[in-house]
Amino acid sequence: MVVDVAIQTGPLDLPDDLPPGAGAVVRFEGRVRPEEKEAIIEALDYEAYLPMAQRQMEKIVRDLGHAHRCLRARVRHRVGRVPVGETAILVEVCAAHRAEAFALATAFMDRVKQEVPIWKSAAAQQQ
Amino acid sequence: MAFSVAPSVAPSRAGETHLLRVRFFGPVRTLLKLDGFDLACPAPCPAEAFWRELLARFPEVEMLRPGIRLARNGEFLGENENLQPGDEVALIPPVSGG
Repeated sequence: MVVDVAIQTGPLDLPDDLPPGAGAVVRFEGRVRPEEKEAIIEALDYEAYLPMAQRQMEKIVRDLGHAHRCLRARVRHRVGRVPVGETAILVEVCAAHRAEAFALATAFMDRVKQEVPIWKSAAAQQQ
Repeated sequence: MAFSVAPSVAPSRAGETHLLRVRFFGPVRTLLKLDGFDLACPAPCPAEAFWRELLARFPEVEMLRPGIRLARNGEFLGENENLQPGDEVALIPPVSGG
């Protein structure tokens, strides 16, 4: 499986191409909501422990690839200030069939929220 | 925020110490208003000894300790793994990425 993980500032995007044999493409975008812990916010600030955060994400994807046979997984996580409505994480999994792609994407997101040293904090709304 | 050197940490009873580069993130960094500092620890330095030295300098971290994992040079610290001279030790509070 091809694994392509990056942590970056600024808006996230991925080239629109497919690996040979892909019959399923699952794409997940985690976007910043206007509420955080019952407070109205205008953005979230993300910080990461680099390069550990990137290595952890790569490790998780490779680990999950043993159980879910996929062709390619691409992940982009944004750091710095992310305004409401914009994408903080982008996950795209390509597989021959949908079940494997959905399973890997779901399991990956569950583990990101447990094992990857990235933290978010709310940026208060300015009056 | 800044990285500071801690000159006031006492040597271990054996008189043998080594420096660890400690890094703070998330709520720990917010609490201490510090990115990290250099901590003198006894050698060899198991996790318990590290915590003892760290909390002697920053007792306010105690309230966050139950949720914190340690990372050594960018990998989570193993259960019986010791810290070595010159290691970078990161305090990893509960994460919230994604």
